[in-house]
Parts: sequence; structure tokens; C-alpha cells
Amino acid sequence: MKLEKAHKFGMFIDLDKCTGCGSCMVACMAENNVPFREDETDKLISVAWMRVYNLSNNKPFPDTETSFLPRPCQHCEGHHGHSPCVSVCPATATDYDANTGIVSQIYTRCFGCRYCMAACPYHVRLFNWYDPVWPEGMEKSLNPNISVRMRGVVEKCSFCFHRYQLAKERADYEGEEHLAEDAYQTACTQACPAKAIVFGDLNNPDHKVHQLAQPDNRNGGKPRAKNVFRLLEHLGTNPKVYYHSSKEWVRRLGDNDVTGRDKA
Amino acid sequence: MKIDRRSFLSFLIGGAAGTALSPLPWKLTDDISIWTQMWPWVPIPEKGEVSTVNSACTLCPGGCGISVRKVDDRVVKIEGLAGHPINNGGLCTLGLAGAQLLYGPQRVKAPMKNVGGRLVEISWEEALGEISARLKELRERGQPHRVACIAGTDRGTVPELLNRFLTVYGSPQFFRVPSIQDTYELALYLMQGVRASAGFDFENADYVLSFGSGLLDGWGTPVNIFQAHSRWCERSGKLVQIEPRQSRTAAKADSWIPINPGTEGVLALSLAGVIVKESLYNADFVNAQSSGFDSWQQVLLENYDTESAAKITGVDPSTIAKLARDFAGARKPLAVCGRGKGQSPGSLKEVMAVHALNALVGGIDRQGGVRAVPEPDYIDWPEPEMDAVAAAGMQQERVDQAGGSQYPHARYLLNRLPEAVNSSADSPLQVLFVSDANPCYSLPNSKAFSDAFKKIPMVVSFSSYLGETAELADFILPSPIYLEQYEDRPIAAGYPLPIVNLTRPVVKPLFNTRSVGDVVIELARSLGGTVAAAFPWEDYQTCLKETLGDKWIVLNEKGYWAGDKLGSGGQPATFETKSSRFEFTNAEIDAMARFAPVEPEGDIAAFPLVLVPYDTMRLWNGYIGDPPFVIKIVPDTVLKNNDVLIEINPATASELGLQDGQAANLTTPRGTARVRVHLFEGIMPGVVALPAGLGHTAHSKFLAGKGANVNALIGSVEDAATGYEAVWGIRAKLDKA
Amino acid sequence: MSTADDLDRTESENAAGKVAETASSGSGNKKQDGSSASITLFFIVGFVASLVVGWVVFPKLLYSQKEQPVVFNHEKHNELVDAGCESCHFFREDGSYSGVPKLAQCIDCHEEVQGDSEAEEYFVTEFVQKGREVPWLVYSRQPPCVFFSHAAHVKKAGMDCVSCHGHIGESEELRPYEYNRISRYSRDIWGHNISGIKRNSWDRMKMDDCSECHVEENVNQGSVQTHKGGCFVCHH
Repeated sequence: MKLEKAHKFGMFIDLDKCTGCGSCMVACMAENNVPFREDETDKLISVAWMRVYNLSNNKPFPDTETSFLPRPCQHCEGHHGHSPCVSVCPATATDYDANTGIVSQIYTRCFGCRYCMAACPYHVRLFNWYDPVWPEGMEKSLNPNISVRMRGVVEKCSFCFHRYQLAKERADYEGEEHLAEDAYQTACTQACPAKAIVFGDLNNPDHKVHQLAQPDNRNGGKPRAKNVFRLLEHLGTNPKVYYHSSKEWVRRLGDNDVTGRDKA
Repeated sequence: MKIDRRSFLSFLIGGAAGTALSPLPWKLTDDISIWTQMWPWVPIPEKGEVSTVNSACTLCPGGCGISVRKVDDRVVKIEGLAGHPINNGGLCTLGLAGAQLLYGPQRVKAPMKNVGGRLVEISWEEALGEISARLKELRERGQPHRVACIAGTDRGTVPELLNRFLTVYGSPQFFRVPSIQDTYELALYLMQGVRASAGFDFENADYVLSFGSGLLDGWGTPVNIFQAHSRWCERSGKLVQIEPRQSRTAAKADSWIPINPGTEGVLALSLAGVIVKESLYNADFVNAQSSGFDSWQQVLLENYDTESAAKITGVDPSTIAKLARDFAGARKPLAVCGRGKGQSPGSLKEVMAVHALNALVGGIDRQGGVRAVPEPDYIDWPEPEMDAVAAAGMQQERVDQAGGSQYPHARYLLNRLPEAVNSSADSPLQVLFVSDANPCYSLPNSKAFSDAFKKIPMVVSFSSYLGETAELADFILPSPIYLEQYEDRPIAAGYPLPIVNLTRPVVKPLFNTRSVGDVVIELARSLGGTVAAAFPWEDYQTCLKETLGDKWIVLNEKGYWAGDKLGSGGQPATFETKSSRFEFTNAEIDAMARFAPVEPEGDIAAFPLVLVPYDTMRLWNGYIGDPPFVIKIVPDTVLKNNDVLIEINPATASELGLQDGQAANLTTPRGTARVRVHLFEGIMPGVVALPAGLGHTAHSKFLAGKGANVNALIGSVEDAATGYEAVWGIRAKLDKA
Repeated sequence: MSTADDLDRTESENAAGKVAETASSGSGNKKQDGSSASITLFFIVGFVASLVVGWVVFPKLLYSQKEQPVVFNHEKHNELVDAGCESCHFFREDGSYSGVPKLAQCIDCHEEVQGDSEAEEYFVTEFVQKGREVPWLVYSRQPPCVFFSHAAHVKKAGMDCVSCHGHIGESEELRPYEYNRISRYSRDIWGHNISGIKRNSWDRMKMDDCSECHVEENVNQGSVQTHKGGCFVCHH
């Protein structure tokens, strides 16, 4: 069987365009059967795969500036596919797929030790402390293309991988070898009213996300494009989500203001 | 043979050995592990045939197109419709959560009647029978004018059917829920002589001056404006946001100008003054296409110089001058107003000042400017025949006195309804219909509305959701929601082209509901005579199809019908004023009350702070309340457990001895609420802010009981010129709890 | 408190015990032989009993039999349709698989009774005329965490139906649906053989069976940890 060149699905998010509205959060929840409870104000346990952070330059009125940063799972590659979370899972519930670059999460294997949550530096992983309950009738809008989780397992953003599966299925049926760029897009990318999120194959030079981020694969995936950064770059997690901001304070905050590190 | 201990043990060991060599333990482990993941209360959604139905979202006035993914007959996901002129694939938080409104617990499942304070289900026949009997009775007594109707909009077949019903029945009391379009429509009428709504070509503007409009917080057609903003990012377009608090719009703006709340109009006039004084205006337009400029500029130069304006607004004179020069010097400048989501009409003269700025730079009816968008005229029903009762009834004055001698220009003054009802012993309104609105929650002075509604003997709500107003109603006649029926929706929320959306039934109606149109036609028929004769259609579906005529096909195929795109040259502006020109001022305008900033209610000594409400994309303050997904994403700097957090400048907080997170009591002349303190550098000292959209007492357990309703803390303040609701905030004090 | 009398008694008891011991020591060997035989016997009894329980009784208890709601003859229908399996089990336009046919499919021909079998009459009266979907029991139903694409296997890999589903298409009636009382899945998933040994490719449908073929055919073997298939290839 002919092997396709490995994909590396990633995202480019333009923080200049992002207005912090939260559509990406709601689209993700609606697409991925994310549970909801009466009181969701404790954000440490509130389950939201995509989360928009409010960033501040911490200056006093009237010089205060605010920016917004949507943060999905970063699908870290680490070194040769050893993402922080994948490296620690005792149940092989999470795995890195070299063909797509996606870090998968299989709920039926996970037994909820939460070691992965400790390992992840981005807080993308959420634990189901409570049994998800759907009020009568609301279970009708659950998406059959993705598992419904139960209490006691960890969940996280999957880059809407079920959409890739369905797109491949369609391509297989039509006899197509390759997927078009717009055949596989995540729910958040699709919903963003400001079109601030771009998703695609970082390994494919024709895809917008590659052109906008210009990842340097010989240098741990660091972005070559101007004003583009990744979160916590100095940790070496080699994440796949690239951010653009014209504001320097935002870019510096993206690496926790760690300056003078690793310019290579 | 005796079974002694050793034998028994060896039996067990033999058993263990045999068991280990049999598949039992291995299979059992495998099965039990599967069993532990099959808890019966975890739903398993069934796979099925996937289909997509395109429709339109009606949850806010913005008018986005939607693409709904179904699995068999279940709605699984709502997405934005790619290619729709307003949203092109994007969708806001509310639209995306629409499936939760379809299947959620706040749906009204059948007609209900309020019996002794409780809502009980009744049949349609009973409900319509009782309502019809009361309507007949009022007509017989010669009092048809005591029937009123509040609707979310006045455009489209459903509101027009309601209006037609009232007219032929004999009542002039049709109300539209207030918004900035009230004042913009009047401004366009007075200054341009046209009856139209204001449309803003954000897509093509390159310098947008926003007087508190929440362009990225839900103003107008939100998704469309977000996309325009992204274009500004790509093409160095500039956004300047003028408001006392750093909303998301101000955070994204190139420049945030903090201003004393309520003084935006003064700033607008002062900017105009600079433009006039330094001759930065578009001379072609002003000289050849305007009138009244001389007397108008006189007023500006005498009263709104930058020094005086600086004292009132708190904006530096040099900043004012620079703003004016930048605005006038841009290629396609555009000024807009309407605080937050634009749900309040505000001061007419303030709106006219902002509109005048656009005129000064020649931005009327050209690309990147403001346009007078005509109302689509496809609803062309013959005038109904009126009988004597109806004719007499239509002569009566409206309870809000709109169109009367005191308020000659206003069409709808819903803000004046509570006083009219509460102040007289016998309520002037005997029957009130409410469609697509939740005034007992979403309008300022909400408590007065609740009192009035309790006083009106028969309130009939068409609400599909158990909101605050519906809970107070005597009858609820639930209509299907937008995903369950065909309905035409003309969009007027500041979009620069006339556009009509068509919703279509994505699923069959889930519950025992009837569309508003059908109910109106049935009620009319039950009254007989000229009233019935005015509604010749079999049912609403027939009415809709016939009314739309050949537009029905286009609407069914594409989901929308839009007017012509504004060309690059624009059309020559047509003005239908007496002078056939744009009128900066005229006799009619001069006769109205002079402009003055709207003052907040309350004595400054007792209430040293100023409270302003604010709007966001995550809290919806209209007819629709947040579904569970949307209330879930409200940050913990806004809502903590069930307490709303009030934004206050750290300097002000320290003066008051308040710390971050501390519980406090917020008191205004109208009410009091328990809050928690949130120190925020993005708000002016002396100003505090609460979000609109919390403090529900109805809908569902996911929404009710959280925070405080800012509308209950703010009273009503009329615009001196028009009578429109012009309140923007109120004086307040904040004490430790 | 012991007295001299007690002491005397104890001594004589001890002596008696010794006598008894000596008496029985003669036959002691026989008794020990007997007990070791007894131990062995019980071991064997326990061993055999548990093997029987594990291999015979356990499967009988574990699986419950159910009959399909309608007696359906695949062989007969195969003769009557043009496109073989795909006539009723077809791909939709978006590449998804229709699986077990819905009532609408059957109504195409069975609006009214076509033949003279009792089964068909029952079907038409109970289901077609009442508009009820037939609650078929699906032998190959996988847990909800599984994503299986028929298009990838049938269209792309060119597999036939028999490799996974066996010769059901040639059956004259649907075999009983045996389901596992604990896991609630069909016996076809683990396999009819309780030990999990299979002779044909269609005997089992557990994850390792799919993985076997995937490893052989080198399908998406991109997992960094297992060096076999990536999890998201078959799960979601």
C-alpha cells in the first residue's frame, strides 16, 4: 500500500482578529458532546476543550490593554512524538500518531489517574469529576460521531478528529487519495465569526496554515513568520498551534515573559 | 470418605487450577471491564443518515444564515451558512447553541393558563375560546382600543398580521421593542426625509468612530461586523472606541477614548465643531447637497468648542482635535452610535450629531458610509375594510401617547407603558399580546413592567420559552421556534442592504405549538365580520407563500433575498426633505427640545458612583436567555457561583475600602443588589459596571438565580426631544456587605 | 492448682496415649495413603469440575438467546435482487454505510404481501402497516467508542463482505442472536469459541482481530508508543 506523506495537522490563530467572543468554545462543546452543569464558575473543573484566555498588559487605567487567546489542545510533538502527556500515561489511553500529528485520547482506556493533567503545561486536559447529565430531551443533540464520556475519565480537544475520519471515508468512497484543505476543518475554525483561526496540514506547503506559520521542522517546529509565536516555546513541547500578534507584550506573555532564551 | 480440611483445600486448588486453564477468568474480566463502561445513564447517540438543512437564525436581530446538521430526525449541530452575505459561515455563541433551545427544559410544551398563580396546561380550543370571548366583549362595549400588542419587530408577515389584526379590530396600540433603530429612523426622516433604517457599510470603511457601540460585543449584525473588523486588521483600517469602560470592542480598537458616561453627544458635536472650524469637511457635499449648515455650525462654534467639551466629557482638548482631524482626513470614515448592543434608542439629538459627522465627511449613501436602507415592500396586502367600531377605536390616543401632541415624532414609546397602566386605578389596557419580547426582564425599569403586566387583566404571551414575561402571563400560546417553522425575517440591524431571510422547518414541531400567524388568523375568524374578512387566508403558511409571491422560490433555494450591492461609486443620495437636500437642521428639528446630555437619576451626595450596564457576546439580554453552553462560558471575573461581579477601578475601590472578590451591596435609587467586587483597570474611576443578561428568575435552572438584573436597578429616563428611552445608567453606591 | 492425684491421672493418660499411638502406627501408613489419595482425588474433582464449569457451563450461562423479530431469508432475497449485498446494504452519497436496512427499504417491494410465507405476512401486518421500524439485532454491533468505515474496507481495500461477516448472505434464516449478559454484546464479537480461538477471519471481531490485519497490511501504523495503529484510526 502506498504510504502518504505524513500529515501534521495544526492551527494558526491570529490574536489581532480574535475578539474573545467565545464562539469557538461553544462550537466545540456542541460538536464534541461536552457536558454542562448548573454551576460552571469554577474554571478549574469546568470542562471546556477550547478555552479563551483574557490577557492583560497589567498597566493601570487608561493604559491598560486586553487581548484574547483561544487555547485548544496544542497536540505537542515533543521529541519524536513524545508529548508530555503521552509519555506519562500508564494506560496508553493517550497516544501520538506520527501520520497525523494528533494526540489521541481514548476514553475507554483511561481510568482517571490524571497523571497526564499534571504533565500538560497548558491545562488543556479536563477531568470529569461529575457524571455528565443531559436533561431529558437534550441527549437528542449529541453527536454520534464522537464518544459520550462518563465520570472519571480525562478528556481534551482532538482537533475534531472525527471530522477527519468522516472526510477520509467520503474520499475512500469517491476513490480520492488526498483530502482537500477544506474537507477537514475543526468546529472552532468553522464557527469563528472573525475568521481568526486557520486549520490545516503544517506539512503541506499549499495549506494556508503552513504559509502563515512557516514552521521550521529542522528547528523543533519553531515559526519563521514574523510576529508568530507558540505558547511556552522554551519548554520544548513542539506544539502545533501557532499564534500571531502584532503586540509585543502579548508575544512575550506567550512564553511567560522568559526572555533571552534559546534564540536558535 | 470424610471431607477434611486438606481435601477441601485440594479441591479448591484443583478448582483454581482448572479455572485458570479455562476461559472463565479471562473472559469474565474482559466482560466486566466492558460492563463498567456501559452505565445505563450514559446516553449512546445512534448513528444514522446525515442530512443538512439550511435556514436562518432569529435569536438576535442580526440575521445570520445557518446550516443545520441532522442525524436522522435529530438536530445535532448548528453551523453558520457559508456564502450567506451577512455571516459567510461564521456564527455567534447564541446561534451555535440553538439546539439547546430546541430541546431544552425551558420550552413551553402546550398552551397554558394561569390558574391561581400556577401555570396549567389547557387545550387550544379552551385558550382561544376564552381570549376570543374577551375580545368580543371589548368590541361590544366599544372599547377595542384597550387591546395592545408588543412585538420584537414591526417587519415581516407575523408582526404585520398582528398589526393588521389590531387595526381592523380597532386598536392603534401596536408596540415595537425599543432599539437604536428608533432614533436612527427618526434622524433619517428628519434630516433626509426618508422612511428607512440606517445601514452601515463597515466592510468598506477604513476609519470607524464608534460612540459606545459594541461593534464586537453584539451590536447590529455581529458576525458581519466581526468579519469587517478582521478586514480592518488586514488592511490597516482603524477603529476608535469612545466609552467609559473597556469593552471587548475597546480592547480591540486601535484607540480607546475613555469618556464621562452620557456625554458622547457633546463629544460628537465638538468633533463636528473642529471639522467645521478647520474646514476639514467635504465641501462638495456640504455646499451642493446640504441645507441648514450655516445655522447649525453657528450653534457648534458657540457652544461646543474643545475646551468646554473637555470639561464635560473628560476628554483632552488636544485629543478631541486630533480625533476630528483623523476622522475627516480618512478616505472612508464612518461614525456610528448606539450603546452596547444598541438595544436602547437614546437621545435623538445625540444620534443626529453622530449622523451629521457622517454628512460632514460626505459619507451619506456611499461605499464605506451610512445608508438609508428602505424597508422591503413585498408585503402588499389590500387595505382592510373597517367597521364603525374599528374606525372609532383607531381614533383613540395610544396609552404611550406616541404620535400625539406631546410626542409627535415617536411611533412607539414602550417605555411609557408601565406608567400609563400603573398610574390609573383601572388599567387602560385590558388585553395585551406579547410576541418575541421579554419586557419584564430586558427593559430598564423592569420592575415597573412586571407591575403593569400583573395589573393588566389578560396578558397573552406567544413565547416558546418560559421567560419572565411568559411566567406572568394569563395565557401562554406557545409558537414553534425558528427551527420548526417557515417565517420571513427582514433584517434591519444596521446592515447596509435590504435583506430578507427565510427560516424553514428543520424538524417537525416538537410540542403542541401553533405559529403566531395561525393563531391571529384563527382569532380573527372567530370574531367574524370585517375582522375575519381582513384575513382571507386559510392559514399562515398560505399567507406567507402568497405574500412572498415569486420571492418564495428564491428564498427557498438560497435562504435569503438581498437588495443590490452598493457599487463602488455609490448612488447619488436621494433626499426627500423640503429642500431636497440633507438637512443639518430645519424648522422641525429646531422646534424640538435642545440637545443636552441625559443626566443619570440620583443625588450625587447619596450616590457617588455611576452605574453603567454593559453588553457582551456571552450574555444575551433580549427575548432569548443564555442556553447552558453560553452561560457556561461566562468568565469567573463576571460570575462567581451565583454572584455577579461588579467592575470597579482599583483607585475608586481603595477609596471605598473594597477589595477584590469582596461581597458588597450595590444600591441605586431604584433598587439594591448583592454583588462581588472585581478590580478592573479598564474602567474609569467613579464608574462601575454590571453586565446585562444575568439576574434571570425564569427560563431554566442553568440560567435562573444567577447574578442580578441590571434592568431592575435602572429606571426610565425619557429623551426630552422624543420621549424615547434614553437612560444609559444611574447613580449608585457600593457598600461592604 | 494441680494435686498429686491430678499428676497421677495425667501420667496414666499419657501412657494411654502412647499405647494408642503404637496401636495405630501399624495401620498408620494405610491411613496416610488413603488421605493422599483423597487429596489427589479432590484435586482432580475440583480440577475437572472447574474445567467443565469454565468450558461448558459458563458459556451457557453467560449467553442468552434471542430470536430476531422477523424470520428473514437472505438466500431468497439474494436471488431476487440485482446487486448482491449492496442492493440493501448500500453506501450513501457521503460515503457512510446504511448498515441494516430501514423499513423504507423493505417497503419498496413489500408494501403488500409478495409471497405466501407466514414470516412475510407477519412482517407486513406488524411492521409495514403499522409503520414500525423492525428492531433487528445486529450481530456485528461494536461499542460506541469504535469508528468503522465500510468505505475504507470495501472500496479502498477491496475486501468482500464474507471476510468479516461470514456466510450470512447465503443463510435461509437468521441464526439466533446470542448476547452476553454482562457486556450486552453479541457472541459474534468475542467469537463463538469461548476460548477466543478462531479458524476463519469472520469468527471474531475484537480489536486485536482488526489490528492483526492492519499490521499485516501496514495500515496507518503510526503510533509512537505501540508502533502499531494510531488509536484515532478506529476510535473517536
